[in-house]
Amino acid sequence: MWARIVESMLGVWLLMSPFIFRHTSDATHLWINDLAMGCTLIVLSLASYWSKTRGAHWLLLVAAVWLIGFGRLNGTPPLQPALQNNLIVGLLLGMVAIVPNEASLPPVRWRQQENSTTS
Amino acid sequence: MFDQNAQIDSDLNAAVPPYSYNPSAWSQRVPICILAGIATVIASYMALYQWRLIDSVWDPVFGDGTAKVLDSKVAQTMDRWIGIPDAALGAFAYLGDAVLGMAGSTRRWQYRPWLVLLFGIDVIPLGVVSSVLVILQGTVVGYWCFLCLVTAVISLILAYWAYDEVYVSLSYLWRVWSKTHSWRELGYAFCGVPSEQALAAGREIVEEAR
Repeated sequence: MWARIVESMLGVWLLMSPFIFRHTSDATHLWINDLAMGCTLIVLSLASYWSKTRGAHWLLLVAAVWLIGFGRLNGTPPLQPALQNNLIVGLLLGMVAIVPNEASLPPVRWRQQENSTTS
Repeated sequence: MFDQNAQIDSDLNAAVPPYSYNPSAWSQRVPICILAGIATVIASYMALYQWRLIDSVWDPVFGDGTAKVLDSKVAQTMDRWIGIPDAALGAFAYLGDAVLGMAGSTRRWQYRPWLVLLFGIDVIPLGVVSSVLVILQGTVVGYWCFLCLVTAVISLILAYWAYDEVYVSLSYLWRVWSKTHSWRELGYAFCGVPSEQALAAGREIVEEAR
């Protein structure tokens, strides 16, 4: 589940981003985006730990596309650091979100299949 | 129970023809991840210069060649297109190699072919194309960048190392197709959904090595 931990950490980073990148009080869209996406990342990555919502991390791909789009399309290059941050977090998230839960083990269905055929 | 676990364990680590080893074994994948990690660090270092978070960039061979390449109009145009420095994008590509290299069991060539092929696409075609672009930079930009050349060589080594696993995964999918001639079965096998045919195809491949 290391990928889910990385996603949670990216969420925490987004929650801290408005303070690190010193968003001004009138940059409401940056505040809302960073805080809302930070919470979304944490919730979806932690939801992947529960067996009933174990596929929740796939929704993070949507969040990744959103972050990349928000960062790239919200200004003209050279982009301000806060937007580059969104772009970079989006790219990182897209990379990590496709990693399955229990990635080092065979998929659950294969484990069940192998067990049933060897017993 | 012990025999059953031993059987599953030996299947997970079985050699896969035409190779005398398992291309998905950790001993095969960890070196790829380490080398990709080194390339990530080098590319990130160049990105730090492009972000002007550091004042200069190290180049023991071409002097200020690396700085001139990183400050070139081509690099600036790429920056305008992408929104972040091109070296940062390179760092992501190498990090992707490492992340996708780490994911999956030692039999992922059968259990998660989609992951192996995604890894292959990231490492092989993208690696080769980026290496060619780096090698062309001497003629296009007019300067050589030592660190870019190092990462280009790493890309080619990574492509060479990753090839066997991608080949085995494609062979497995080809065998499933040959047995079933069903797009549905092939799709299931690609997505890593177990079926009798997929199980049989994997077993046949491994048995050939024994």
